Amino acid sequence: MTATAPEMLVGASLNFLRKFSPFNGMEDDALAFLAERLHLAYHIKGAEVLTPAMGQPPHFHIIQRGKVQARQSGPTAVTEYAMLALGPGECFPIGAISAQRPSTNSYVALEDSFVYQLSAEDFITLMKMSPVFQLFCTRYIASLLNQSRQQLQATFSQRAAEQQTMTTPLSQLLKHELVLVSPETSIRTALEKMAEIKIGSMVIADEDMRPAGILTQSDLLPRIVLPGIDLSRPVSEVMTPSPHSLYATATAYDAMLEMATHGVRHLMVLDAKGRVKGVVSERDLFSLQRISLRQIRANIDNATDAETLRNASRDIRQLALNLIAQGIGAEQLTQFISALNDALTRRIIRLELERHELHDLKYAWLAFGSEGRHEQTLSTDQDNGLIFVCPDKDAREPLRQRLITFAKSVNDSLAICGFPLCKGNIMASNPELCLTLEEWQSRFGKWITVPDPQALLNASIFFDYRVLCGDESLGDKLRIWLNKTAKRNSAFLKLMAMNALEVQPPLGRLRDFVLEDDGTIDLKKSGARLFVDVARILALRAEVSSSSTAQRLRQAGAKMGVQPDELSAIVDGFHFIQMLRLRSQHLETEHDAEGDNRVKPDELNELDRRILKEAFRQARKLQLRLKLDYQL
Amino acid sequence: MSWLSRLLPTRSSETTSLDAASREALAHWHTLPDADLNHSHFETRYIVLNTEASGLDIDKDRLLSVGAISLEDGTLTPADSYYAQLDPDPGSVMTNLLTFSGSGPIVVYNAGLNRIMLERAFERHLGLTPDWLWLDLYWLLPALFDDRFHTPVRLNDWMKQFGIETFQRHHALGDAYAIAQLMLAAEARAMKRGVLSPRALADLERTRRQLSGR
Repeated sequence: MTATAPEMLVGASLNFLRKFSPFNGMEDDALAFLAERLHLAYHIKGAEVLTPAMGQPPHFHIIQRGKVQARQSGPTAVTEYAMLALGPGECFPIGAISAQRPSTNSYVALEDSFVYQLSAEDFITLMKMSPVFQLFCTRYIASLLNQSRQQLQATFSQRAAEQQTMTTPLSQLLKHELVLVSPETSIRTALEKMAEIKIGSMVIADEDMRPAGILTQSDLLPRIVLPGIDLSRPVSEVMTPSPHSLYATATAYDAMLEMATHGVRHLMVLDAKGRVKGVVSERDLFSLQRISLRQIRANIDNATDAETLRNASRDIRQLALNLIAQGIGAEQLTQFISALNDALTRRIIRLELERHELHDLKYAWLAFGSEGRHEQTLSTDQDNGLIFVCPDKDAREPLRQRLITFAKSVNDSLAICGFPLCKGNIMASNPELCLTLEEWQSRFGKWITVPDPQALLNASIFFDYRVLCGDESLGDKLRIWLNKTAKRNSAFLKLMAMNALEVQPPLGRLRDFVLEDDGTIDLKKSGARLFVDVARILALRAEVSSSSTAQRLRQAGAKMGVQPDELSAIVDGFHFIQMLRLRSQHLETEHDAEGDNRVKPDELNELDRRILKEAFRQARKLQLRLKLDYQL
Repeated sequence: MSWLSRLLPTRSSETTSLDAASREALAHWHTLPDADLNHSHFETRYIVLNTEASGLDIDKDRLLSVGAISLEDGTLTPADSYYAQLDPDPGSVMTNLLTFSGSGPIVVYNAGLNRIMLERAFERHLGLTPDWLWLDLYWLLPALFDDRFHTPVRLNDWMKQFGIETFQRHHALGDAYAIAQLMLAAEARAMKRGVLSPRALADLERTRRQLSGR
């Protein structure tokens, strides 16, 4: 019996495929399946075979004759790697069709080309049918990631270069020649010099050029003019002593944070030997910025009512979004949000203290959860508590009542300022969370000795506390006690570890990511939490006092002998996820709105998607370490 | 489909020797709607037909085998093809070919020989002449790819130009495979040149023939 026409034509396709890897190594039935289903198409030179705009690729292509060029599209197309010419026997797209997402490359025929095509559905069947083909695809995707690493670095440095404003070393920002006077100089001479050179601030330094103080224009009125100071007095009497300073190698960003944290407008810039090189002013840093950090800080510090603070809170969010747009790193950004929110909270507390008489008390205001970890995003509700000292048992309850009344007004004011009341009532006004040191210890101790699921959940919120206002030593005492107790109780740590390992990084075997039904990934639940939970356990075990995840990882990791580069990869992974979380939040968004923390990987650019994948890999690595440590 | 062929009397006695299945297939073919020649290439099912004969003399030589490949949605699908030798049952082979080809349009290389051979075989074995639109790449290729050849050349020359290979030359299906690949290229080039439908291709071919004085 002679061959039928389809047999002859499929035979022609088979003969072609057998010349190329991986097809030549494929199982007979799988190869036959492939050859029978291939259609042959022709693409004229310059024709787009596949583009991201086509959505999920309808076909898998194998070039029969001709050349097809893969061009990376979008803003990340920068390197040689992005321009890949494919020839006979080569196929595309592999990653996109495996993941059933739009291709990130554009494929354009470089010359008139004959290209076989296989429907996406048949491609998936083939993957299932043929282990050889599946291995080929998996390896291909893996090798692509390796190739991309260098490209990533290149892109990163390019991005960094574009964001010069924020990453510029301070040494490059010093525009004026340094003018300084000695502390003994008369006020008059100093002012004359300022007027002559038209500068807003004067550095006062000793013989070795070490900063002694600073005098700025805004100091003139309150310190010199109004008090009617004798201008022949030495300038040291009116200067601001021991001014805040940074080394010239610090970045504009560092300076910005320093100014925000301390509420100052000028910073000394020092060389490596600690000598003054110059002064950077807020204006130098933020001349382009619409909302000034210092302005927000000043508004907070001068606020006398919740309404003003609410505006400041809105400004914090707006500024945070501006900074995100400028590409500030997540760690700095969260630090900055944290610093300003702390200032805001402290101001609210101080305002309330004017109405509540608590001078005789030794107490501290505690922040829990993400606020406790310095990891607040733009939409976090309140998580706070109080710790106080009361040796006299009989006086305890009345005292607690006083503190609760005070806490209630603070909670309400915070709510007005955009920090919604906690739905779970994790607030200082809750009598359960307004406790003495001993009561906190007994509470924590109970969770550690009877670690039921609720106790573990509580531990994950409350163990991340820090003192926001009040007597710091109370927090320290509790921390030392907690670390010692937890460390001794290995069964508790093991349960915490099991709990932490319950959620896995959403990495797919076949696809890049495992998505929820709506095509998103919850970056809080299956992203940041993975790092946070492990960091907490490591910190308890290594008796690290910090409550911040990055610091916990760094400090505990160092104690455990983890390589520094390995550590920084993990921390970078965490920060990237935090960054994405921040980016997905919007000013208009309500707190804990649906969209918060959710990201659609399909909507990320290729670069971000790859980094996200790498970040999840780091989480997996971290979890693996924990798994090995506790033999889980 | 073909009014003309339906009106023509069946001249051949061989038609009556067709089996019931073939007669039914023929009857069905007659009910097919005409091909819409104004559709775009991608909406058109082109049928590439090719023959193998005992020689090149139209009057003396006989048709030995036929090969057919369909082109749909701008692609060549191996599964959608037909090949058979006429012996020993030319009636069913021609019926099958007719069924496979439907309403066309038909693509051939060098219609002169192929078309006459095929039409005579249809006439002889089925007693009809399908009134398909025949497109001849012999004329169309130099019209579309005048940057490569501007006068008609042999199939082999075009195959070399495009680097087209086939599993067997001078075989009805083997050559049809090469011709089909050329047609894919022709479709793409025609689209680019604004020659968007089978009808437009036919017009282009007629112009090209007139230009050559034929």
